Amino acid sequence: MRKRMVAVLLAAALASVVSTGCGKAKERVNEEGESVVTIWSPSDEPAIEEWWVEKIGEFNQAHEGEIELRREAIVRADSYAYEDKVNAAITSNDLPDILYVDGPNVSIYAANEVTLPLDSLFSEEEWGDFFEPSKQQNTYNGKIYAVGATESSVALYYNKDMLDQAGISVPEKKEDAWTWSEYYDVAKKLTGNGVVGTNIIMDKGEGLSYVLGQFWISNGTDFVNEDGSSADGYLNSKEGVEAAQFLNSLIQDGYANIDPIQKEFHNGRAATMLGGSWEVATLEKDYPDLNWGVTYFPVADGDGVLTSPTGDWAASVTKNAQDMAAVEEVMRFLFSKENVTTYAQAISKPPTRISSYGVLTEYNEYPRSIFKEQLMETGHPRPRTPSYSVLTAEFSEAMLNIFTGVDPQEALDAAAAAMDKDYAKYYAKD
Amino acid sequence: MKKSINKISERRAAYIFVIPAVALLAAFLLYPSLQTIRYAFTDYNIMRPDRVIFCGFNNFVELFQDEDFWIAVKNTLYFTVLVVPFQTVLALALAMLISSRRKGVPIFRAAYFSPQVTSMVVVAILWTVLYNSSPDSGLLNALLVKLGLEPCGFLNDPKTAMNSIIFMSAWQGAGYQMMIFLAGLQGISREQYEAASIDGAGKLQSFLYVTLPGLKSVIQYVVMITVIQAMKLFTQPYVMTKGGPQNSTRTLVYYIYEQGFQKRNFGYACAVAAVFFVIVIGLSLGMKKIIKAE
Repeated sequence: MRKRMVAVLLAAALASVVSTGCGKAKERVNEEGESVVTIWSPSDEPAIEEWWVEKIGEFNQAHEGEIELRREAIVRADSYAYEDKVNAAITSNDLPDILYVDGPNVSIYAANEVTLPLDSLFSEEEWGDFFEPSKQQNTYNGKIYAVGATESSVALYYNKDMLDQAGISVPEKKEDAWTWSEYYDVAKKLTGNGVVGTNIIMDKGEGLSYVLGQFWISNGTDFVNEDGSSADGYLNSKEGVEAAQFLNSLIQDGYANIDPIQKEFHNGRAATMLGGSWEVATLEKDYPDLNWGVTYFPVADGDGVLTSPTGDWAASVTKNAQDMAAVEEVMRFLFSKENVTTYAQAISKPPTRISSYGVLTEYNEYPRSIFKEQLMETGHPRPRTPSYSVLTAEFSEAMLNIFTGVDPQEALDAAAAAMDKDYAKYYAKD
Repeated sequence: MKKSINKISERRAAYIFVIPAVALLAAFLLYPSLQTIRYAFTDYNIMRPDRVIFCGFNNFVELFQDEDFWIAVKNTLYFTVLVVPFQTVLALALAMLISSRRKGVPIFRAAYFSPQVTSMVVVAILWTVLYNSSPDSGLLNALLVKLGLEPCGFLNDPKTAMNSIIFMSAWQGAGYQMMIFLAGLQGISREQYEAASIDGAGKLQSFLYVTLPGLKSVIQYVVMITVIQAMKLFTQPYVMTKGGPQNSTRTLVYYIYEQGFQKRNFGYACAVAAVFFVIVIGLSLGMKKIIKAE
């Protein structure tokens, strides 16, 4: 008898685990009858986490009895952990109402109807306050699919002491930005005594496409064609191969490391670095003794195009969103003038709203002014194609292969072919 | 009469006891496996779960012409063939070293076992630092340079990347097998060694003719689980090399992850998984047969 009781209990426990653990839908209305709106965004530094807590509290207080805003912070790491989680949620139809996505992924989600167009969120006048590179990145097929509060840029950081010692002066106008050959010579001169001339590897994942893709644009080509349907003839074009060869020469000649230590530049082990705009805050706060400066992103020799990376995480509304009125209310709150400004301040990134620069006056002063100037005048987003996830994975693999000895043409041909195959398989017929 | 009622109720109780295990297996193993096989015949892209089209054997045809897939098969087998003997011998050596000592056994046992209780991700990150190709940053290369040798590319050189992973994996995994060997060594009775030494056997002879035969079933078990574990190699390439450089550390499981989640070719990844399943089952059955034949 007792045995049977135990068995029945076990079976009951199992049944309850199975029924609650799987297929549980997101809670849409809470016990107080408020509409629940959930946000997923990458977990971040304490200042931003605090911003979220404060703003969510503020929103929920103002909408008591109507809407409850919740946020799940999801670890991103430097690989694809966040995307893995989103992929799983797409499969199980378990997406949050509002999903933060990295700029180049906006097109993928839009093309697959995972996210919804947001053009009606703001009036035309209000949209006019968001600046172009950001809107460009978040647009697919003529419609806006995401809104971002901040932007990013990459410029060339340099160690002032090391440059002074070598008698090198940096360009002060963007028109005078170092050409590739000048950049190469600087890196060469500064290499020695356990210090490398430059650091071009932000990370071995998305960082490669984000930073190094600009060398393609500067040399007069890009990763993909205008409508994002093909990489052949762009990624692997003559100009593209030249870009890869140039980057590879920095590695092969020993002027940049293929696997740099963490914070190589910050610790005085690299004389220059292609680094993100967010490094300004890190360097100011954690490396007060380092004597550093920033200059413009290098440009291709000859008629090189002045360019710099842009793109940042942005919020989109998913197909699983339920109470659209509540979701729009949240979106308008998150991207109001005030909140874009405070968020940009907390995360130490340039804001996307032009009016925010009236408040954040530090962007009018060096070194932040360099990033603002690049964003407004030379910024180019990463390619907009629904096959971006294949493209970026193939590109970083190709670059690492080139850095370890594969012929650039061969490596880029393979990457272009893989991207085109993906597009043909899934999107050509849409 | 009373007895048979007891028997029936006992049998029923047995079934009830089995239900939880069977239900769990069905829900988390059988059902997903069947789904995998189903998806292997579709063009399922993770982004579009509502637009899945049956495409027959297309994925398998593509698979057999896919160079990267065959490289992954080759890499997985290479890893298995090298890591299994290396790790097993290392584990046995450690076990014998410990069992021959009198003092400080618990300390050594804990020391050799500690990599095993550390998460593989942590171990992999640490070894990535050790293996750094620049002598200014990597400990091992700094050592090589100090000894007057050329620095080695380790994870950045397609010739050495997989071997570097093999060495580090064996180091991490040997502690567990060592514990099993230790238990096995304790099972061999002292009298056998005494008898051998009376017969004039030296150390090597008593190892060959007493220790090894005594450990036969333990060795079989250890080899079996190490092979199956080795076939599933994923964390190390994921953390340390992302399958590179030049495909040299792309394993089957990493390829499945890469195709399925990174590139979102879920149907194709399922096809690779199905083939992988056949390979592992084949290997396990083959090994079992060899063991039985002995």
